[in-house]
This record gives sequence, C-alpha cells and structure tokens, in this order.
Amino acid sequence: MSDAQRPIDDSVPSEQPSTGGADEDDSGNDEFEPVQVFPEAEEMDLRPGADNCYKCSTCDTNCPVAEVDDEFPGPKFQGPEQWRLKRQDDHDIDESVMKCSNCMRCDSACPSSVPLSQMHNTARAEYVEENMSKFSREYLRNRMLANYRRLAPLASMFPRTANFVMGLSVTKWLGEKTLGITSERDLPTFATETFREWWTDRGGAKVQNENKRIAYFHGCYSNYNTPEVAKALVRVYEHFGYEVMVPEQSCSGTPMFANGMLEDARRAAETNVRELAAAIEDGADVIASCSSCSMSIRQEYPELFDFEDTETVAANTWDAVEYLRVHEDLTGALENTTVDDEFDDMAYHAPCHSRNQGLDGQTIEVMDAIDGIDAHDVGDSCSGISGTYGWKEENYETSMKIGEEMFEHMDEAEAETGLTECPTCSMQMEHGTGYEIKHTLEVLEAALVSDGGGSHAETGASSSLGEAEGEGKSTETGTESD
Amino acid sequence: MAHNTAVLVLGGGSTGCGIARDLAMRGVDVTLVERGNLTDGTTGRMHGLLHSGGRYAVSDQASATECIEENEILRDIASHCVEETGGLFVQRPEDSDEYLQKKLEGCRDCGIPATVLSGREAREVEPYLAKDVSRAIQVPDGAVDPFRLCVANALDAERHGARVETHAEVIDLLREGDDIYGVEVRHDSGPGKRTHKSPGTTEEITAEYVVNATGAWAGQIGAMADLDVAVRPSKGVMTIMNVRQVDTVINRCRPKGDADIIVPHETTAILGTTDEEVADPDDYPEEQWEVDMMIDTLSELVPIIEEARTIRSFWGVRPLYEPPGTGTQDPTDITRDFFLLDHDERDGVSGMSSIVGGKFTTYRAMAEEITDHVCEKLGVSATCATAEEPLPGSEDISVLEEGMDNFGLRSPVARRSNQRLGSRAADVLETDEPNPVVCQCEGVTRAEVQDAIGQSGSDLNAVRIRTRASMGNCQGGFCCQNMATELHPRYDEETVREALDELFQERWKGERHALWGEQLSQAMLNYALHATTMNRDNDPASGATQIDYAQFDGGA
Amino acid sequence: MAITDDVLVIGGGLAGATAALAAADAAEDARIRLVTYKQSTLRHASGLIDVLGYAPGGVSDGENGQEQGQNQNQTPVADPFTALESLPESHPYQRVGVDAVREALAFFDEIAGDAYAGSHTEMNALVPTHGGTVKPTARYPVSTAEGLASDDRDTLLVGFETLPDFDAPLAAAHLEAAGAPFDARGVTLSFPGIVRDDAKVTRYAHLLDHNERVETLTGKTGAREALAATVEPHLDGESRVGFPAVLGDDHPAAVRETLSDALGADTFEVPMGPPSLPGLRLEDLLYDALESAGVRVTSGVPVVDYETAVADSTADEPATAAIDHVVVDRNGAEIPHEADQYVLATGGLVGKGVESNRERVTEGIFDCYVPHATDRYDWFVDDVFGEQPYARFGVVPDEDLRPLDADGNLEFSNLRAAGSVLGGYDYAAEKSGAGVSLATGYVAGTRAGEGCQ
Repeated sequence: MSDAQRPIDDSVPSEQPSTGGADEDDSGNDEFEPVQVFPEAEEMDLRPGADNCYKCSTCDTNCPVAEVDDEFPGPKFQGPEQWRLKRQDDHDIDESVMKCSNCMRCDSACPSSVPLSQMHNTARAEYVEENMSKFSREYLRNRMLANYRRLAPLASMFPRTANFVMGLSVTKWLGEKTLGITSERDLPTFATETFREWWTDRGGAKVQNENKRIAYFHGCYSNYNTPEVAKALVRVYEHFGYEVMVPEQSCSGTPMFANGMLEDARRAAETNVRELAAAIEDGADVIASCSSCSMSIRQEYPELFDFEDTETVAANTWDAVEYLRVHEDLTGALENTTVDDEFDDMAYHAPCHSRNQGLDGQTIEVMDAIDGIDAHDVGDSCSGISGTYGWKEENYETSMKIGEEMFEHMDEAEAETGLTECPTCSMQMEHGTGYEIKHTLEVLEAALVSDGGGSHAETGASSSLGEAEGEGKSTETGTESD
Repeated sequence: MAHNTAVLVLGGGSTGCGIARDLAMRGVDVTLVERGNLTDGTTGRMHGLLHSGGRYAVSDQASATECIEENEILRDIASHCVEETGGLFVQRPEDSDEYLQKKLEGCRDCGIPATVLSGREAREVEPYLAKDVSRAIQVPDGAVDPFRLCVANALDAERHGARVETHAEVIDLLREGDDIYGVEVRHDSGPGKRTHKSPGTTEEITAEYVVNATGAWAGQIGAMADLDVAVRPSKGVMTIMNVRQVDTVINRCRPKGDADIIVPHETTAILGTTDEEVADPDDYPEEQWEVDMMIDTLSELVPIIEEARTIRSFWGVRPLYEPPGTGTQDPTDITRDFFLLDHDERDGVSGMSSIVGGKFTTYRAMAEEITDHVCEKLGVSATCATAEEPLPGSEDISVLEEGMDNFGLRSPVARRSNQRLGSRAADVLETDEPNPVVCQCEGVTRAEVQDAIGQSGSDLNAVRIRTRASMGNCQGGFCCQNMATELHPRYDEETVREALDELFQERWKGERHALWGEQLSQAMLNYALHATTMNRDNDPASGATQIDYAQFDGGA
Repeated sequence: MAITDDVLVIGGGLAGATAALAAADAAEDARIRLVTYKQSTLRHASGLIDVLGYAPGGVSDGENGQEQGQNQNQTPVADPFTALESLPESHPYQRVGVDAVREALAFFDEIAGDAYAGSHTEMNALVPTHGGTVKPTARYPVSTAEGLASDDRDTLLVGFETLPDFDAPLAAAHLEAAGAPFDARGVTLSFPGIVRDDAKVTRYAHLLDHNERVETLTGKTGAREALAATVEPHLDGESRVGFPAVLGDDHPAAVRETLSDALGADTFEVPMGPPSLPGLRLEDLLYDALESAGVRVTSGVPVVDYETAVADSTADEPATAAIDHVVVDRNGAEIPHEADQYVLATGGLVGKGVESNRERVTEGIFDCYVPHATDRYDWFVDDVFGEQPYARFGVVPDEDLRPLDADGNLEFSNLRAAGSVLGGYDYAAEKSGAGVSLATGYVAGTRAGEGCQ
C-alpha cells in the first residue's frame, strides 16, 4: 500500500553526534532527553501533575475563598481532582474555577508539590476559551480589568480628568451597572507624572557601573499610580552603587492569568522575556518592586510559557529587598539609621505573592534593623482583593469577608502606617482600615537616602507640584554617588 | 426429576454472565453461581482493551475478524461501558517495516479500518509519544470497563428472571452415573445479597444442564466429576498508572512480546502485560521484575511513564486451552480461540459442557454459540437477541450525547457519573437529599454508592467494581471509611467494620506493587490516617480483651 | 552574602517548631531561624499529642498470648512513661532518654497553655476517634476534653449529612462495641448555613467563628445559635455532645461556650482529618510561639544543597565534616543560609524528608544514611496493619541525635535530626508520632542552642 511507504518524516531526532563515544551509544541505555513533565506548553495536558497529590487537603485549608464562598469547592477539586478526571478533549471545566482569586496560597501550601496554580491558570483559560461568551458583559469586564495597562496610559495622559471622572458617583454607578465593577471601591488615582516620564526627564541612570547593574521591572502600578515607589527603588539602588536600567516592558500578566486571558498574557510575557533577557545579556539582574510581578516572572512564566530565555529570565529575577539582602550588607547599612515619625510604627501585611516566594518574613526582619521602628506583622491572612478579583461586583462581598481577619489585626496593631509590597493589597488595606499604606522601599529610602526622605514625605500620588519640585532637589544631589 | 433450574451456569465472569443473559432472554430458567464477586476471576483482571482485531491481524485472522465484528456490536449495546479511544500500533526505529506492512495488510484483509500516520501525526494524536516513534497504524481499538459490562449482563439476566448468586462457591458437582445434574455450593453468608457475619450455608442446586464457564478454574470444576479439562492458565501482569498519559490505546507494532500495550482506562492508564504459564490459577508468584518490565519497556513508547506514578499492579490468569496433543510450548503461541467441550461427546458424561479459551472482546459471540448449543440440548427454539438489545445503562445513549444533566454536581463529577451510569444516571442521581462526593479521586457520590449497595449488599468490593470508588490515587485511604459508613444503618456496626477491613486489605494487596515515590508517601499517609488518627489497627471493638477504662485519664 | 544565624532549623512541623523554640530557650541571645518549604503534616494529624499508646511486645489479644503481627489488637498502655522503658535501644525515645521525654512534654505544656489538657496526670487518656474507636494519648486539645472515653457521662454524637467523614450514629455504635462505659447515641443533621454538599471544613469553622447570619426555618440567626437550635431537640438527657472537629478555627473556645450554654450540655470535638482543624490550631499556636520567641521564619522555599567546611582533625578524633552553609532555592535563585548548628526536621515519607524511588530510600537534603532493604519487596508485609518496614524508614541518630552513616560514624558534627525524619520506630502502630517529635525536637533544639554559645 502506498500508505505504508510514506516516508518516515519528522520523527527521528537528529543523529547522535559522531564524536560521541560509540560504546555509550550502543549500550542500549535508554538515555532519553530529560523527561519533561509538561513537554509542549501548547498542549497543557496537566494530568501528570495530579501524580503528586496524596489528597491531604492542605491546599483547601489554605484557600481564603473556600472558607467564605459557598460556590467555591477549593483548590484540590479545581486542581488535581478536576485534571485527573479529565480526558484530552473534555472541555467542560467547572465554572467555579472563575471564583478562584489566584492568590496562589495553595501552591506554597501543598506538601507534595502539586502544580496547583498552573492547573488553575490553565483550567481558567480553557473555561474562558470554551465556555464563556466573548460578548458577555463578564468577559468584556474581565478583559478590561486584565488589560489595565492598556487603559492606564489614557488615564495618565489626563490624570486630573481621569481621577475626577473616575471618582464621580455616576461613573462608579455606571461601572457597576454596565461592567460589573464594584462601586464600593475608589478607583486608583493616576499620578500626574508617570515613573517613566520622570525617568526620561531625569536623564536616566545617575550611576554607571558595569559590575553592578539591575534592570528594573516596575510593572504598571508603580509607573502610573505610585511612581514614588519606583523612584524609591531607583534611589535606594543607586545608594548602593547600582546602575539602574529601565527596559521596555509590558504588563507582567498577573491580572490576565487571574482572568483566564492566557493569550493576552502570552503576548505581554513575550515582550517582557525578550527585553529582560537582553538586559540580562548586558549583565543586569532583573529586579521587581511589586510582589505579583516578581511572582509572575519567576513562577508563572516558566509554568505556562516556553519562549526562549523564559527560564533564564525567571532564574535571574529578584524581589527588590531580597536582592539587597543577599547581595549587600543591608542590615549593616540600616544600623543606626532612623526614619520620620510616619514610619516608626507600622502594621505590615505580607502579600500572598510574597509568601509564595518565601519572602513573608523578610520585611519585618529588615525593618527591625532600623532604629526606632516598630513593625508588626498582622498575620498570615489574605487581604482578599487578589488583584482584579475584589474589583468585581460579584466578588466584592467575599473579598471583604476574606479581608476581615487582616482588617481586625491591623486595627489591633494600632500602628501609624500600613506597609506592604503589593499594590492591590495596599488598596484593600486602605479601603478596609483607612490606614495610609506605604511600600517597604519607601521606608528604605527614608532610612538610607537622607535627602530623598524629607522631600518624599510630601509627595502624594497626585500632588503634581510638590512632586516635581521635590524631585528636582533630589536629582541634583543624587549624582554624588558617582 | 424436578430441577431447581433449567440451566446452571458456573462462573460470574464475562462468559458466564453473557450466557446467563442470553439464556434468560430466550426465556430459559437460569441460575448463575460465582465463587466471589462478579468479575473476580479473569474478567476483572484484564487491561480493558476492546480489541479492534488489529493485534491478531497477522497471527490469527479468524480471531481478528471476529473481534472487529464484536467490537462494533459492543459499541452499540454497551455504549456506557465502552470508550471509543481509537488505537495506535506504534513503530519505533528498531521495529521492522516489514511487520508494519504485514499488520496493515492484515487489518485490511479482516475489514479493520486502518490508516498509517507519520511520527508527527501520531504525536499530534498523543503528545506524550516518544520523539523517535517513526510511524503508527491507527485502528478502532477501544477501552471497555469489564466490571460495568459484566455487571450489566448480570443485571439484565436478573431482569429476565435469572437468579444470580455471588459468594457461592461450588464445592461439588452432583453426578449420578454418567449424568451431571447440579452442584453443591457454599454460600458465604446465606443465599441472596452478601451480608458479612451472616452464617455460611450450603445448598444443592439441581439443573437440567450445567455450563462450566469458570475459565482458568474449569479444570478444578471438571476434576470434581473426574473429568479432565486441561486448561493451561497463563498469568499476565498489569500496572496501573495514576493518570492517563494517553487517551488512545498504544500498542507496540511488532510481533508478540511482553509489555507492548497501554490502555487508557477510566481515569488511569493500564500497562500490560506478560504471558507465563502457571500451575494454579489461585496461587502464583507476583514479582517485582514483572512490574519493572512494564515501566521500563513501555516508557520506550511513552517516556513520561518512567517517572510517573503507578498506583497498583495486578495479575490476571488467561484460561488458555488447546486440544490434547497440540503440545505448544510457549503460552504466547497458544490460540486465543475458545473451545466448547461437550462432556457427553467427549467423555460420555452428559449434562454438562465446559467453555475454555476465548477472549473478553468476543464474550458475547461465545455466549451466543454456547447458548445455541444448550438450547439445542433443551429443545428450546428461541433465537439470540443479545447483539441487538442494549444492556441496562445503554438503552438511551442520547442521554450521554445530548446536554448532560448535572444533578447539582460539579461538572467533572457529573460527567464521570453520567459516563458510568449511562441511561440510569437520572434514576440514580436525582435526589432531594444531600449528595456529597464519597470518593474524591474518582468523583463518586453518595447516591451512586447507595445504588451499588442496593445491588450488592454489604460487600464493598462489589460496590467498588460498580462505582470505581476507592480505585483512584489514594487507593481507598481517604474513602474506604466513607464508603463503609454508607452501609450504616442498613447494616449494623459489626458488619460495617468487617466490610471496611475487607475492602482496606484488598486495596493494600495491589498497592504493594507500587510502593515507591509518591505512592509510598500515600501508603504512609493512609497508614497514619487509619492507624494513628482512627486507631483501626488496635480497635478495642475488635480485640478480645476489654479495656479497663477506669485506668485511664478521665479528665481533670 | 549568606543570611547568617546561629541555629538553622530545617522543617516547620511539630519537631522543627519545637526544636526552634527549644534552641531559643537554651540560648537567649542566639539568632534562630526556621526554614520550611511546604506546609507541614500538622494539618494532617489529629492534633492529639500522643506519647506512647502501644508498646511493641505489649499485651496482645492473640490466643495464648501469642502475638499476631505484634502490632495488632493490643490493649493500650495506661502509663506511657513506664512503657517507654521497654522500648528497644534503637528507638528515638531510648536515644534521648525518658527524662527528656518528660521535660519535652513540660516544655510543650508551657507553650500550649490552656489550649491543651492532660498534664494533670501521667496516665494516657482515651479520645474518641471519627472512626468510632478510641485512641490513647498523653495530651489532647481542650476542645476534646469533655469527650474522654473514661468519663462515664452519656453522650450524644452529632454528625452532618454533608460531612461524610464522620457518621455519628455509626461512631456511637462503635464506641459501645468498644466497651466505653457510657451510653452513646448518634444523630445526623443538616448544618445550618452550609449550602453546598462539598463545603470545606474551613467553611464550617468560618461560619461559627464569625457567627455568620444564616437562614433557618425561623428566620436569620447567628450560625452558632442556629446550630444549637438544630441539635437541641435531639438531646435526650445526655450531658455532653460531640461534634466533628469543625467548631471554629480562630475562636474555638467561644464557639464551644456558646453551644454549651445554649444546649445546657458540655460540647466537645471528635478529631478528624486530614484536613484537621485541631492540627491547624496547633500549628497556629506553635507559630505564634515562634514569633514571641523571636525565631525568624522563612517559609515556602526548599533547602536544596549544602556545603561543608574544612574539618579540623585532631590526633584523637578523625575529622568529621561540618556544614558550613545550606542553599535555599527561591524560584531559581540560590540563597545561602549560614549557621553554627543545624537541625534537620523535614519529616518522614509523608512530610517528604524521606524520599524513595524504585531502587532506594534516601534523606533528601544531606543524603544521610537511611537503612532499608535492597529489594523493595522487602519494604512491606502483606497485612496492611502488620509490622511494616517502610513505616520505620528514617535516619539513624546517635545519643546526641546526630545522624550516623552506614558505618556508625557521624555524618556531620553540627547536624541533628528530630521528628519523623528519624527512623527505627513506627509512630502509627505505637501512637507515638507527636511524642517523638516533641522529645527529639526538644533535645535537638536544646543541644543546638547550647552548641552555638
């Protein structure tokens, strides 16, 4: 039959290099290329991931959603159980996967290394792809929330207008009615000058150093909404003599994963991996100030994508404080430093995505080194907002229920200021307690960069004049480190 | 002389249940007795392949042709037991082109649809196939749940008036002169559904005709009436993977050999097998090398298997037979065809025939032929309808195909339940009572477990084969207890305890062959849960000595 | 720069937490760090602190005193401390000595405060299990205290339709079959406020903790009141009521108090799991204690490697390598952690401190020697509750709890091991898991603390 004579085409791997020892080749030793558990990212058959599950339910007891939401059956079901029951062409993912907030606590909880969040991310993407109408309000809303970065540039072009319009009760009401975005929350305010604008005006890096280089992944929020965090990072790193690079970048993908918009995330990740890999090639390590951004690059990228250099970028990405702690004598540098009153008594919340990176104890340890600071860890509960999750009208109540424990602990702490490293946790903390919330880098800046601290104190997100002037001063003096 | 029943069928495997159903449908009064649970012999110990016939397309074309015919019938009458997975005969670089060519031609000669795929095309079908797989022949192999199929046959036989007695071991054949007229059985717990702790009884069941469908055990039955039935039992190992690495049956495209098939089976994949003659079908060694061979050899086809988790291994015994004097040495060369031994013609002893040899896929055709033979003996003229009449659960398969009802269950649980129950799903799952999941690995709810208990009594292994509860990755560690509590209050505490112990020991038996890596961790966790948290190993209710409670801390 | 501490404890279960606390206690100025990868097995376990429930070679029910499989159907030991003496030399309890077990228990009592009961006597208590048997234990969560089987008050057990793990009528019948000195009765009810059949135990606990408003036939009330109202009609003179262990996570005492007041009967929990709320509460208690003791906790990251320092050999003693630092993996970044003294408390087969493949059994971080048969078919016996060799897998310690190699020499001079990473005992058969973790954690931590001064 002609069929049987079809050429044996593509399948045989390239011949063994002839230089290889013939003995080894003939040994009959089945030296497969290392077994990849998930060979083709496109396929995303995660059933083998269920092999690790021994059913202990530790993931379920760590799930902040299952504890309060009757509709959510918990990560064990969503992850290993659902995957194990699947056949290749089954696409009827249970709709409850959309109730997962993607806090990823189950990941670090699992004593048996089940790739839970990877399973959830993939199942969610499959659900959105196969089961959710592309014309539904929910889909449009989720797509919009997931692609916050696309909207943010518009808003920040006219920040005052945007802040004004977004604050209007009519706008909020419209948001809820037409899009299902809760009107309970104040939409984030946009800075009058983005971090990148500031960086360009400033003329880029003030320190040149071939041997100590970092590429800063600022993410969307510290660019558009809290540039003071990004500026703090620059000043702190320059204080330690680092040359800071600010490569081109797209959204880290976190909100896209959470909404099952895997294709959007893939596009963003592709840009980021390419740009960050180039920076690594130039001798830089990648530093992120947002815990979700670093989580995404370090863990989710390698789990979900296989661009060239994905692994390299993941392995060379660090949390901003962690990096200093390992590469500099950070506690030594902080000894005998002091900070202003606003920082001397703080209630710290470790974001879930810091916890997943093993960074939850770090901030308190670092703060302890600064004289006079009293920082309380408010416990290991989830803030409940989980990025875009708590913005959805249908999740608002659940989100606040999850946050309840953290709110209580923050109130009990009777501190001056709230502290965290995640922008959306910070919104929730502020929303639930009224505390003003700062980023750890801002405290380090206050302690280490003496002139930066004073001017910084008055820089609110949208107080444009103070910001510009304050910055001018610091730029002038900041060059000393050369 | 008045008989208890017209026909007595010995053996509750696929053949016996198939015969009982066929006879009952033809209006013949029939009783079936089985030593243990239905499927306990060879039927429940196979890899679940629904042959397309491709495996025999070179070596035995008559069997191959019969397979494809029966394959098509079973897809129709037992659609809720069959998964149309398709199959691949996969060629590696070292496998001969000539054999692939022969296989392909053989398939076409036997009317088995067969297409050749390139290596890349094969990997598109099954992404985990080895990178160096060069070609594959695609055939309509399928997967079948032997438990469900066998139970459905028995249920339908009962619906047509048959009596089915499990846990009824034949202890003697009743023979008077040269006539066999029945058997004596020992009921484990009295006739009817099994209830633990009920006293055993014996019963004589007389019949006009006896059909010995005990497969590998046919020789033992024959010996009770001094008849020589020379079955040559041959064991084969099967290793169960925790998840399906493939959704298609994967065969190695080379002449007969060990470890050459992977069958996706329900939530798992089953690796098989070996072929080695054994003396006693109840007592043969189960060895490490056999398990290792499955993993090592089959990972040449699907490399991920090397590091994947297996949850247990089991052995089945083929009821191979060849006519006296054939003298085949290698069991793999013994024909897979079946033989009807009419002891009247053969040994001059009337009243009984024995069936030996044969294979699962063609059980229905075998049953038909034997039933024809029996009917001729009894003078019954009704004809066979088993090829047309769907089995219970497959009557209206549109239920499965069209919008599946969720019965308030999460969708994958609903999907699996519907697949298991077929057209019975609504009857079983529609309930106003809470219906929590009892076995989380397999997605089995309380309602389905209760339905199975209604069919099979306090025997949790019978519940297991009906529902798959306790057959997932924890191997019952988390759900045996929950299955047992479902027996209460229908059965008393002592019965429940006994049933639980029996199930838990049975689950351990197969799991022992998978004790390394994750499954060893699972075993330790199961052990800790049952011994540490529940203290079931030193259960004071099971001990002979009373605890002196007063010696212990009674509170501050 | 390595992150530097005086004592580094690897593993965050009962043994690791106890070791870190003991080290902090022994060396007040020392800096102690606990590194833990995934969550510990505390959440799997019942939360009971057992010391020894059954002694190998103890009184058995086998005919003529003949021991069937030695492990099964024995009667429990009433006095665990006396029974400790009879354990074989290789048992971890014998390695640390009976006094250390007592000290460790006292240390635990101090940490646990009024969250645990049982310290008023050296005798074991018998706590009803969710399978309906009773389990011997030295300490028990206060939530189980009213349920002791030696207390002869009649008992109502309450189960819930949506919680298949605990069948109250069956458990009651089982307790009677076990000869418990009281009448037990069980009822199965619907849990007010639970609307899905697959709600997690944390959902039940949350409803009660926060006394969420729930729908009942008579309108909306708090979940605690609603639960009491559901149970109340079924009380028939019993003075105590047992529930599956879902009575709150953060505020269990308040939940029980409300229920007891409303029912006019004492309430108690029957431990369940995994997942286990009593285990979860114990974990919280230990981590609060770690925080108070100033122990630094790094979680979510595995220790993947180590480096040894050049050892000084003296004329008398052959050189024993010392661990210089270990390497922690943080999503691909390698973070060195340095300390004077190290404690290995990574757990056994369940906690993944002990690993296996088809060929061998290993300790995963330092590759300390783990004795095991070369043929994996000798790792088990055919009776599921028989004397299982796999249950005894683990490292072999000297009397200072330092792991020994195959020749009986120290693996490292500054590494000690605690908890179920240790081999030579079957905690499931003995009911000794928590006790061994406490005793060895206490000794390893104390010695490590003393060693770094």
